[in-house]
Amino acid sequence: MVVGSMKSAMALAFTGLLVASVPAWSAELDVNELIQASERASYYAGDDGRSDARMMIVDAQGRKQLRQFTILRKDVADNGDQKMMVFFTRPADVRDTVFRVEKHAAVSEDDDRWLYLPALDLVKRISAGDKRTSFVGSHFFYEDVSGRAVSEDTFTLQEETDSRYVLKAEPKNPDSVEFSYYVVEIDKTTKIPMLINFYKANGENYRRVEAVEVETIEGFPTVTRSKVSDLASGGYTLMEFRNMDYNLGLEDDIFSERSLRTPPMQWLK
Amino acid sequence: MSSLLLRFATQCAGWVYILLLALTLGAGAMIPYLTVDTDPENMLPADHPARIFHNQTKQTFAMHDAIVVGVVAEQDTNGVYTPETLSEVKQLTDTILDMDGVIDADLMSLSTVDNISQAGPGTIRFEWMMDKAPVDEAGAKAVEQNISRLPLLYDTLVAETGKAAAIYVPIADKNESYRIAEDIRAAISKMGSQQQWYITGLPVAEDQFGVEMFIQMGISAPLAGLMIFILLFLFFRSLPLIIAPMVVAMATVIVTMGIMIGMGFTVHIMSSMIAIFLMPIAVVDSVHILSEFSDRYKPGENAGEVISKVVSHLFTPMLYTSITSSVGFFSLMLTPIPPVQIFGAFVGFGILFAFLVTLVFMPAYVSRMSDKTLVNLQQALHGEGDGQSRVAAIARSIGKLAMSWRRGWLVVFSALFAVSVWGITQIQINDNPVRWFKADHEIRVADRVLNENFAGTYNAYLVFSDTNAVPSAAALIGVDVPEELSGWQWDTLKSVTEQPPTAALESLIIAIDDAMFTVESDEAVAYLDELVARAEQALSVSKTFQSPEQLAYIADLQQYLATTGLVGKSNSLSDVVKVVNRELRGGEEKDYALPDSPQAVAQTLLQYQSSHRPNDLWHFVTPDYRESLLWLQLTSGDNQDMTAATKLVAQYVDEHPLPAGIDYQWAGKAYLNVVWQENMVAGMLDSLLGAFIMVFVMMVVLFRSVVFGVLAMLPLTITIAFIYGLIGIVGKDYDMPIAVLSTLTLGLSVDFAIHFLERARAIFKETNNVSATLEAMFGEPASAITRNALVIALGFTPLLFAPLVPYITVGVFLASIMAISALVTLLVLPAAMSLLHRFVFKSR
Repeated sequence: MVVGSMKSAMALAFTGLLVASVPAWSAELDVNELIQASERASYYAGDDGRSDARMMIVDAQGRKQLRQFTILRKDVADNGDQKMMVFFTRPADVRDTVFRVEKHAAVSEDDDRWLYLPALDLVKRISAGDKRTSFVGSHFFYEDVSGRAVSEDTFTLQEETDSRYVLKAEPKNPDSVEFSYYVVEIDKTTKIPMLINFYKANGENYRRVEAVEVETIEGFPTVTRSKVSDLASGGYTLMEFRNMDYNLGLEDDIFSERSLRTPPMQWLK
Repeated sequence: MSSLLLRFATQCAGWVYILLLALTLGAGAMIPYLTVDTDPENMLPADHPARIFHNQTKQTFAMHDAIVVGVVAEQDTNGVYTPETLSEVKQLTDTILDMDGVIDADLMSLSTVDNISQAGPGTIRFEWMMDKAPVDEAGAKAVEQNISRLPLLYDTLVAETGKAAAIYVPIADKNESYRIAEDIRAAISKMGSQQQWYITGLPVAEDQFGVEMFIQMGISAPLAGLMIFILLFLFFRSLPLIIAPMVVAMATVIVTMGIMIGMGFTVHIMSSMIAIFLMPIAVVDSVHILSEFSDRYKPGENAGEVISKVVSHLFTPMLYTSITSSVGFFSLMLTPIPPVQIFGAFVGFGILFAFLVTLVFMPAYVSRMSDKTLVNLQQALHGEGDGQSRVAAIARSIGKLAMSWRRGWLVVFSALFAVSVWGITQIQINDNPVRWFKADHEIRVADRVLNENFAGTYNAYLVFSDTNAVPSAAALIGVDVPEELSGWQWDTLKSVTEQPPTAALESLIIAIDDAMFTVESDEAVAYLDELVARAEQALSVSKTFQSPEQLAYIADLQQYLATTGLVGKSNSLSDVVKVVNRELRGGEEKDYALPDSPQAVAQTLLQYQSSHRPNDLWHFVTPDYRESLLWLQLTSGDNQDMTAATKLVAQYVDEHPLPAGIDYQWAGKAYLNVVWQENMVAGMLDSLLGAFIMVFVMMVVLFRSVVFGVLAMLPLTITIAFIYGLIGIVGKDYDMPIAVLSTLTLGLSVDFAIHFLERARAIFKETNNVSATLEAMFGEPASAITRNALVIALGFTPLLFAPLVPYITVGVFLASIMAISALVTLLVLPAAMSLLHRFVFKSR
C-alpha cells in the first residue's frame, strides 16, 4: 500500500475513464474499487518493469548511509502475485547481494524470499516471519517495497478534498502489525498514495510515508522520489528512482534462483 | 578596627539587629530558588575531557541512561520461563512503551528484541523474540532456547540461571526518572504478580539520592541546631544568653545558603552539608566569648563594658581561628571537583561571616541584656553542681593527667604517630556511588539482586577509533579533469570540502553517478568510471571496523577480559557478526566465527540491519565504521574494580599492540567515577599541603615565633595522621567523604591549639612561671576548649541519623576528629611546652 516505484497503464486508463464519465464518483465512492486501483497504480504498473533505486538513510543524528540497487519486477496478475528481484550495487562491499521475492497476494499465503550473499557464497531462503522489518537498515519496511496487500486492512473514507481521497485503514489482524491504524491520502487523478501517516493506539503519529515527486513515465504516473520518516527519532530515508522502464518483456527465468549467482546483466545496466 | 566595631555594636545595638535581620531576610529570600543536583557526573567540570568524551560516546552510540526493571522468580523450577511470568514481562513492557519520556526504539525487553533462528534446512528466520507471551510451558521453553543462542541478549535480558529477567528502559531526560520509575512501580503493583520485582539503574538512584538529600537537610540540620542549643544550655544555663549564639548560627546558615543559591549554584551532595557544617562552627567564637564573659562579669558591672573588654581580648585568637578554619575550607578550592570547590568556598565564607556577626552581634546583644537576666545568669553559672563546673572538672582532670606524665605522653604520641604513618600507607582508595545508600536500602537491594543474577549492571565502554586519515575526495577528483566536467568539478569540490572525509567520499560517488547521466564524451565517461572505482575503493578501505582483523582483535580482548573475573560480560560488533554468520550458515556452533573478508562482514551486517531494530547496530559501530564500541558489563561499581579493568586492558594492549592508527579510550559511568576519584585524591593532597603550609605560616606570624608555629601544628598533625592511619589499618575505603575531611579537619582542629597557646602566653606574661601558667591553663581556658570540642563534636552527631552513608561517615569522623584533637591538644601541648620551656617561655 506504499509508494512503490511502478504503476499501471490499466489503472491509469481505468481511472481516466471513471473520472471522465462519472463526475459524481465521490458521492458514492466505492472504497474497495479505489484502493484496488491505488494498489495497481503503486505496484502493478505495466506487466513488468525495472528501476534503479538510490536510498539515502539519515539517522536521528544526521549520519548517512547509502544503498543502491536495481529492481526488476514481473506481475503474475494485477492485484495478484508478483515476482521481484533486487540487485545491490552499493555500498561496494555489498555489491551483487540479491533478494529474490515471490509475492503472494493471498493473505493466507506467505511470500517466498531468497537471499544471495556473494562474499559468503551463500543462497539462503528467508522465512517470512514478519514483513514489517527494516529493508536493509532503512526506514522502509520490506513490506513498503513489495507492497502491503490492500486485503490486509479495512478502509473507510474519511474525507475528500479537491485533489485527494483521505482514507483510514485498520488492520484486519492487529497482532501482526505495529500500528493501530493509518491514514492514507490518495491522489484523485493518479491514484498514487501521496501521504500515509501511521498511528499508535494512543493516537501518536510515529511514522510517515510520502511520495515526494511523481512523474509520468511511459504513460504511467510513477513515484520518482519517496520518503519514509521515523517521527519519533527524526531519522528518515529518502529513496530516488531513475531509469524506469515498463513492459520490457522480462522472461520468467530472470526471476529464478539461477539469477542470484548470475545476474541478468542486460537488464541491470 | 575592632574597637570601632565594638563601639558601634554596643551603642547602636538596634541598628545591628536591623542590619542582620535585613541581610538574613534578603539572602533567605533566595533559598526557595534552590535546585538540587544529584548527578555524580558533575563531580567533574563540564569541560573535563573524560566527561566530554563520555557524553560524546553516549550520543554517538545512542547509549542512553536507563532504568533497569528486574523480575526474580526464585521458587519456580522453570524460573522466569513460565507463561505467567513471561506474560507479565510482556504486559509490563507494553505499559512502559506507552509511557511518556521512554525511548521506545531502544527499550530492551524479551518482547521488543529480535530473534534470528533456523526455520528448516537452508532457511533463516527473523522474527520478534516474544511478540506474544507464550500460552504454555513449551512456548516458554522455546523462548529459553532462543535467547540462550544469542550472546548479546543472554545474561543481559534473562539471567543464565533462568531465575531472573530484565527490562532496560532508556529515558530521554534523567530528570523524569523518578516519575517514570513511580509509574512503573504502580504498573507492577497493579499486575498483582507472584514474583519479586526490582527497579534500579543510575537515573533512579540519582533521583532517590536527591530526595534523601532533602530529608537530610530537613532533619539533620535542624537536629544539629537543637543539639547545639541543648549543649549551650547545659553549659550556660541561661536561655536569653544562648539565644545569641543561636542567632549567629541561624543567620550564618541562612545568609550563606541564600547567597550560594542566589548566585545560581545547585545544591549537590557536598553543598547540602553546608548548613550542618556551619552551625557548630559558627557558635564556637560565641562560646569563647560567653565563657570568658561569664567568668569576668560581676553583678553590678556594666555588661557593655565587660563584653567589650572580653571581645577585644579574644579578638586576635578569634580572628586567627576563623581565618585558619576558613583557609582549611578555602583550600578545597584547589581540588578540581566543582561541588567540592563550591562547598569549600561557601563554608569558608560562612566562617568569616560568622566571625563578623559574632564580633558585632554578641556585644550588641549582651549590652542590651537586663540587669536581672545578668544576675540570674551569674547565679546559674556559679551555683553548685552544674554543667559548667562539670566541664571544668573534666578539664582539670585532663590537666592532672597531662601534667603528671609529660614525657610519657610524648612517647605515647610519638609511637602512635609512627603507627599512624604506617597505617596511612595501607589506605585503600575506593568509592562506589551506589554504596552511598545504606545496605538495606531498596536501591542497594535491587542492585545486589540484579548483579547476582545478571552479568552486571555497571557499564563501561571501550571506544576504538581509527585515527588514520581517510583519502580526501578533493584529492581524488584531482586537477586534471576533462573539459566537459569542469563545471561539475567545481560544484563537486565545493560540496565535498564542506563534509567530513567519509561523507565526502559518499557525496562524490553520488555526484559521479548523477554526472554519468549527462556526460557525452568518452573521455568524461572514462574519467568518471575510473574516479568512481577509486572513490569506492577508498570508501571501502575507510570502513575500518568492517575488517575481520579489527573485529578479531576486539574479540580476542573480550575473550581475555572474560578470564579476568572482573568483567561479567562484554558485547561488541564482533558478537553481532558472529551470531548472524552462524545463523546464515546453518546455525551450528562451529560457525560462531568471524567471516573472512570485509565484504562478508558488510553483507552479514546488512542482514542484521534487516530486523525490527536496525539501529541496534549503531550501539556498537558508527555508520562510517571508523569507531567501534566495546560494552563491558561489570558486576561491581567499585572504583577499584574499574581501575583494575582499565589496567588490565592497558597491559593487554601493551602486549598485543593495536593495529596501526587505532586508538582506544574509556567512557561510561563506572569509568567517570574512577576519573573524578583520581582527581579528588590528587586534588585533596594539594589542598591538604596547601592548607598545612598556609596555616603554619599564619601561626608563625600570629605568634611571631617558629617554635609556637610548630607547637600549633603539632596536635592537628598527630590527629590527622591518627585518623587516616586508623582508616588504613581498619580497612575502611578512602572515599569521597573521607577525602574531603582531611583538609577541613586541619582548619578546625588548629583552633584548639591557637586558643591554648595564646592563652598560655598571656597567662605566662602575668605569672612569669611555667608551672603556674600551665596550672592556670587547666582552669577557664581548658574548659572553653573542652566546651568547644563538645559543641562541634556533638553538633555533628545528628548526621548519624542521615539516610545516606556519606553523611554518616562525615558525622562519625568529624565528631571523633574534634574530640581527639581537643584531647591531643590538652595532653601534648602542656607536655611539649614544659619540656621546651626554655624556647617557649622566654622571660623578658
